[in-house]
Amino acid sequence: MILKTKQLSKSFGGLKAINKVDFELPKNEIRGIIGPNGSGKSTFFNLVSGIYDSDPGSYIEFDGHDITFAPPHEIATYGLSRTFQLLRLYQDMTVIDNVMSGYHTRVPYKFFDAVIGRKKIWDQERAIKEEMMELLSFVGLADYAELNASELSGGQRRLLVLARAIAMKPKLLMLDEPAAGLSPVNVDNLMKIIMQLKEKYGLTLIIIEHILKVVMDTCNSVTVFDHGQKIAEGTPAQVKDDNAVIEAYLGKKMDDEEMRKALAV
Amino acid sequence: MEKFKSIIRDYPFIAFIIAFVILAFVPSVVFTDVYQSHLATLIFVNIVVAAGLNIVKGYCGQVTVGHVGLFAVGSYTAGTLFLYLGLGFWATLPIAIIVTAFFGVAMGIPSFRLEGPYLALATLGGGEAIRLFIENGNFFRSTFGISDIPTPSLMGYNFDSPDRYYFISMTIMIIAVYFSFSILRSGVGRAFMSIREDPICAAAAGINVKKYKILAFILSAMFAGAAGAVYAHMPPGYIHPNNYTVIEMVTFLAMVVLGGLGHIWGGIIGAIVITIVYDLTRPLYKYQLLIFGLTIVLTILFMPKGLGGFIDRYFLEKRFKKKTGTEKTS
Repeated sequence: MILKTKQLSKSFGGLKAINKVDFELPKNEIRGIIGPNGSGKSTFFNLVSGIYDSDPGSYIEFDGHDITFAPPHEIATYGLSRTFQLLRLYQDMTVIDNVMSGYHTRVPYKFFDAVIGRKKIWDQERAIKEEMMELLSFVGLADYAELNASELSGGQRRLLVLARAIAMKPKLLMLDEPAAGLSPVNVDNLMKIIMQLKEKYGLTLIIIEHILKVVMDTCNSVTVFDHGQKIAEGTPAQVKDDNAVIEAYLGKKMDDEEMRKALAV
Repeated sequence: MEKFKSIIRDYPFIAFIIAFVILAFVPSVVFTDVYQSHLATLIFVNIVVAAGLNIVKGYCGQVTVGHVGLFAVGSYTAGTLFLYLGLGFWATLPIAIIVTAFFGVAMGIPSFRLEGPYLALATLGGGEAIRLFIENGNFFRSTFGISDIPTPSLMGYNFDSPDRYYFISMTIMIIAVYFSFSILRSGVGRAFMSIREDPICAAAAGINVKKYKILAFILSAMFAGAAGAVYAHMPPGYIHPNNYTVIEMVTFLAMVVLGGLGHIWGGIIGAIVITIVYDLTRPLYKYQLLIFGLTIVLTILFMPKGLGGFIDRYFLEKRFKKKTGTEKTS
């Protein structure tokens, strides 16, 4: 198990955004998380990556480390990387700097060496830059390396945050709506790139996505959230036929008798 | 030429040694009177402060308006060390840097919780408090100021006139700029920038936000401390609390903004331009603040990345056009 949560809870005032969720994720799996808006998917991500503190009684374990109380930067050093729903691109930095800043946890030299400006620093910096340029050309942004990130189009921005999250060579990559706002052709392209990256770096993936086709096609297993609770889990085919899921998305299934009653004036 | 470039790339300090040699010949070749040397020293002091301010404000994005207080700490550490212990420049400079670094920590702690204009207010209070503390304390000679701070001497040679002190300030400036370049071009500079752009995402990418914020404050405080000590020992060796008011702070800010916030040359270009303009407009002293205020506003409106960014943009567009053959405008 690369990621394990026990009794994970988070409330904002009286609202239980996440309510006692037990979650387990084996290595090399592609897990989809679906659920209606406000069901707690993004809160779940924020709790796991340490941006929110979880409520007392929760337990989160990542790759053998207890990260329940760890700050986000420490969790990142264990190899957990994520993207954000609202991208959080570094707008005023160049594309290459954006990707290189994702490399931070792997920077090999010490601060003091950087102050002195030893030759070895510049050699290593060049090696990092070359590696990151390779990554950029893999996602198809090499030509834009020196432009400001704010000058990219919506689709290119999605690719850039993906590249930035990969730069740290994570063990687990959590994607929060990677394909939101993309046209169907671009969605296919993006998913293809994500799958290639998974093969190349041996990633475990968690994907939040509203486009069900993407989830059903690419994920090995799916977890469904509703009102902060996990209501179903299983293979895409199992989840598709689960009554609780249908209820959460479409409303309750009724037989003829109930329907007549509901419609009777 | 290519070989020369690659040598500079591997050993950047060679470029700084070349700059040192060139600047060393400037007084004897270019300057016509002593006042110009004095002005050059002022420019160098301002470059050191602005380079430090660029680290914390331009790169790390923490809006500090108390930097002039740190500059004052540097000056008055040097001044009081001379006054009570009779120490000379070579002893006061490192002590001033260390003491100012501690004040930098104090100035940086509010940045954990505050940001933007709120942090600016907190640091403004910090900076003014330091000045008022100096002005109202007999220990610091209050409004009399500390006078006759000696100029440094090295192996029997005394740098006692502006055209000799030029070499001291120039050396300190070159070393400071070298350090700022190495810091900002490395991963540390990138970490600062990511914190400026988005602290939450920076944290998720493994950057210890608090540590790097305080590091930025310490580094820039050390620059301000060094500049303060150089300023205190500058002939005629006189410091007064009135040299460290909010007006000076606005001038420092104007330097960094005009030069280019978050541009590696930002503080340096700005310090040169603003100091010279400040000197030339001395007869119009009534309108000087107005001019600097306007400079800040107009720069932010029309050149958000300052002169440095403006020049960069020009070359970037040229390169982009050459590479892709398309016009890129935005």
